[in-house]
Amino acid sequence: MLLLGPINVLNDLLLKAFSQETITFFIWPLIQIGLVVTLVALWVAYATYLERKISAFMQARLGPMRVGPWGLLQPIADGLKLLTKEDFIPDKADRWIFFFAPYIAVASAFIVFSVIPFGPDWAVIADVNIGLLLVLAVSSVGVLALILAGWSSNSKYALLGGLRSSAQMVSYEVAMGLSLIGALMFARTLSLSGIVAAQASDSIWFLVYQPTGFFLFLISGIAENNRAPFDLPEAESELVAGFHTEYSGMRWSLFFMAEYAAMVVVSAVATTVYLGGWYFPFVYRLEAAGQHNLFVFVSLLVFLVKTSIILYVYFWLRWTLPRFRYDQLMDIGWKWLIPSALINIVLSGFAIFVVQALDGWRGINTIESLERGLNLTATGKGIMIAIGVAGLFITAGLLARINWRSRDFHLKTQRRNIRLVNVPKGKPAVQPGS
Amino acid sequence: MPLVKTPKPTFAQKLKRFFMIDFIKGLTLTLKYNLGALTDKDAVAGKGIYTEQYPKVRPDVAPRFHGAPRLNMDPETHDTLCIACNLCAIACPEDCIDVIPMDVEIIVAGKPRKKKVLDEFIFDTSRCMFCALCQEACPTSCLELTQDFELATYSRAGFVWNREMLEQGRETVKYTS
Repeated sequence: MLLLGPINVLNDLLLKAFSQETITFFIWPLIQIGLVVTLVALWVAYATYLERKISAFMQARLGPMRVGPWGLLQPIADGLKLLTKEDFIPDKADRWIFFFAPYIAVASAFIVFSVIPFGPDWAVIADVNIGLLLVLAVSSVGVLALILAGWSSNSKYALLGGLRSSAQMVSYEVAMGLSLIGALMFARTLSLSGIVAAQASDSIWFLVYQPTGFFLFLISGIAENNRAPFDLPEAESELVAGFHTEYSGMRWSLFFMAEYAAMVVVSAVATTVYLGGWYFPFVYRLEAAGQHNLFVFVSLLVFLVKTSIILYVYFWLRWTLPRFRYDQLMDIGWKWLIPSALINIVLSGFAIFVVQALDGWRGINTIESLERGLNLTATGKGIMIAIGVAGLFITAGLLARINWRSRDFHLKTQRRNIRLVNVPKGKPAVQPGS
Repeated sequence: MPLVKTPKPTFAQKLKRFFMIDFIKGLTLTLKYNLGALTDKDAVAGKGIYTEQYPKVRPDVAPRFHGAPRLNMDPETHDTLCIACNLCAIACPEDCIDVIPMDVEIIVAGKPRKKKVLDEFIFDTSRCMFCALCQEACPTSCLELTQDFELATYSRAGFVWNREMLEQGRETVKYTS
């Protein structure tokens, strides 16, 4: 493989100056970090381009066309423009917090990339055994940036946006964490590489075991990123631009970058946990054929394609659905997502119990081994998938039953409320002189 | 007693709601537009994309569109066709045309005669409403409203066109990329 041959050559070259330990634990990670930061920044920049293009196509427009062929240089032009614009700070703003809020947003979004397995072997920076926990913890720090930005701007719109974002994050963070637990019960590890390995050794995606969990994670992820239809913190029709109303120039673009990087993070985590990460059915054949670097490279491409598909779903939903009302947002978070995440956990536990109880009963063989996660036979997979798909309907049906009186769900109740506040008969609606 | 009578949902409606059929319909609609835009080859006013790439690709205006005025010339002698009859100025409901004639001495059958010819033609496009009554009044089909629609200028004075401009037309920048 011509493209990837230089890796070994570079290692030999570095060996002349450093010991092998220094190279493995210091120099290679530095190179990886540099590469990932550059590529992710580029990816984020082109995500904005793609968003504009896709939104244009969905509205029968063309999108950016003037800068470069098909407007391909538009992100670079935008970046240059934003760099040269005035960095305006309001007079009464809290200067230091106003300065640092964008950096918190960007840092929290970019730190997560350190544990994401873009591929096997050298394509992952750090395989931490608490990877998923770190992702959840660091990405929730991003909320702090929004709150600080909203508060320090000393503007009512920004403050309202910050308040909304804090409330929204608190509600959806819970559902996000709970929705992942189902998948973790199958993987039996928090390490993201371990989760991919569990899916690879089972040669299945957790999406088919955990459809409910996947949808819950996707919905709460979209809400977590303040994307439409959950973009209440920056609802432009009500709050001008929400928490970044007072920001301009490069600082504003940092928020923008953070939003898109967080989107990439959520799609990458969803890919890793539910879509098998870099694993693709026939990708191991390359490894068996002795072409290790090509194997890593193909896995990397598979990961990028899967993540891009989820990113497309983000854009797709944004340009299809209108924004939720604030009470609807809270209702979805607390009355629908969190209970369904809990039901999902119970059902996954039930599925695992059933599979384990059936193993060896009347010659039914469900579990192969418990090496990396839960290795199931075809029968076990069938049972698991059946319970997973049934779980979607069970969850939806159960919650529809529980929430049938809820205001957002049941239109009749809303109208009953209208009747209750109605003015009694015989009394004028507006009191004279009031 | 609710204010509005709410009919009880039928089983089919409940099923439709449960499987989120309307949501899926919305998603397919946007996806259809997206794929239509991607497969639209000529990319201008085709079936997928309606955007016109204006300075690059000029739009075709309607055949009866009235745009910038022009004074036509005899294609052989390159003399103006205008006979300074002032009919267009009379026809103009906005009084935006000024025809300034000039007398020249010519010899007709050995005798010196005076002939009225066009000296200057002032057309104020800022007041013109492009009704083309002047075009209809012109006996020699000299004055014509063309299909050219780019009339914007940087100053108010730029709207007043003189004879030279009317005969040669405005210079427009042609963009290629």
